[in-house]
Amino acid sequence: MRRLFGFALGGLLLAPFPVSAQLPQTEGPFLQAFLFGDALYTIADADRPDGFKLGQMVAHGNATLSQNVVFFGEVSVSARNSGYSLAMERAILRYDFNDAVKVGAGRYHTPVSYWNTEFHHGLWLQGSVARPEAIKFGSRYIPVHFVGAMLEGNLTSAPLHYSFGVGNGRGANIAGGGDGGDVNPTRAFIASASFRPRGLFGFRVGGAFYVDRISDAGGEYADEQIASAHIVWDRGNVEASAEFINVSHKAIGSNESTASPSYYAHLGYRLPGSLRDFTPYVRYEDMDIEDNDIVFTGVLDDYEAFVAGIRFDFDNLAALKAEYRGEKLGGGDRMDAYFIQASFAVPVSGGS
Amino acid sequence: MMKTRREVILGMAFGAVLMAAAWAQPASAQAVAVAIVVHPATEVDDLTFDDLKSIFRGERQFWDDGRRVTLLVRAPVAEERQLILERIYGMDEDQFREYWIGKMFRAEVAAGPKLVYSADMARDLVTVIPGAITFVPLSDVSSGTKVVRIDGLLPSDPGYALR
Repeated sequence: MRRLFGFALGGLLLAPFPVSAQLPQTEGPFLQAFLFGDALYTIADADRPDGFKLGQMVAHGNATLSQNVVFFGEVSVSARNSGYSLAMERAILRYDFNDAVKVGAGRYHTPVSYWNTEFHHGLWLQGSVARPEAIKFGSRYIPVHFVGAMLEGNLTSAPLHYSFGVGNGRGANIAGGGDGGDVNPTRAFIASASFRPRGLFGFRVGGAFYVDRISDAGGEYADEQIASAHIVWDRGNVEASAEFINVSHKAIGSNESTASPSYYAHLGYRLPGSLRDFTPYVRYEDMDIEDNDIVFTGVLDDYEAFVAGIRFDFDNLAALKAEYRGEKLGGGDRMDAYFIQASFAVPVSGGS
Repeated sequence: MMKTRREVILGMAFGAVLMAAAWAQPASAQAVAVAIVVHPATEVDDLTFDDLKSIFRGERQFWDDGRRVTLLVRAPVAEERQLILERIYGMDEDQFREYWIGKMFRAEVAAGPKLVYSADMARDLVTVIPGAITFVPLSDVSSGTKVVRIDGLLPSDPGYALR
């Protein structure tokens, strides 16, 4: 019965994709949309708020405007202490010339990190309750969002995925993406590539390089370079990823630069047989902020965490995750926190 | 003749074992040969199996003539769908669903696969949607459908990859 129920739900998931023997919709615009959401219960011995919390509600849509023009949009509603905030997370208008050349502009998730472009705001898609600290939304460690233009594509013969982008870079608040325009005349540049061999479906290895100039209310004050590398195996029952990111800063006019590296390694394994709805996972993450970093000093601290949890897919489009997180901030004592999160995805039909 | 209580219990137990065995046994995907069918105007007669995987996985989204690929996929339970999930994706239904949601969410594809509910529907739609590609059981191939060779082989040939 459960299998039949699953098949029926699977059919419902794909059913909204417009298919009609009488009116095949292939040329006109149409929309495919999803809603994602989550709710969280936290028990923590740190000074973070605990108890129940409504997570992000996310609406995501892919609109095919014509044969070559597509629009991707993502809007979130997040719970705050004073209410709810609405944010445009991504808005990308893209012209696909072919597989190898796709040109777009808008607000992206910066392809400087694998996790940042793989999972986005829909927590149902990711294996754990939260992102690694270095990549979390609102983080100041890397620029999570990127406002600008992007050239990207797949070289299927290689097979290589690449992207080159030019954009505003960080805003005056370095956690922001410069949505209102660049705060200085120096644009940010990003280049990323990942190699995905055909014979090893599910494996990828890649990296990225990002440069920008950072300004605050007092003007330009630092140059930033970010380099990252990742390796991933995601096939069958195994979900394994590891990523290294190094953020270096140099005060303008100075020859001395600082380096603040971070890394994480995440491993999940979906149990076989009748336990296949359960996926235990572990992750170790570390972020080492250099003491005299001109941008991060007073903003970020060293961070170290061990994460262990289990995901239970109690429905085809809903999951329950229970997670333990042991964290050390700024080299202090370990803080323990426990989380239970329910997350879901809802396909929404659409049409022209 | 009245059955004894013991016979009834044994019969019920045997039936339960058979049902459990049938439940545990994955649907066989070995009995059917699947033909890959494209829109008649698509300028392709032969694909490598690697190319086919790339197309069905959404990695390759354009034909050489610049037309966007439209993927038509049979609804769950169909035997040919099981074979495609096994041979091309190496996934079960849950993983297949998450795979496509993830691809759309990451803006890697403009659209996900379109669902078709019968081989007839797949065969009809693939002839009217430019750039469409689908799969149907060999027994459902009719004249007028354009069947693509895989690694130079037709579904009826020995060594064909989707059997």
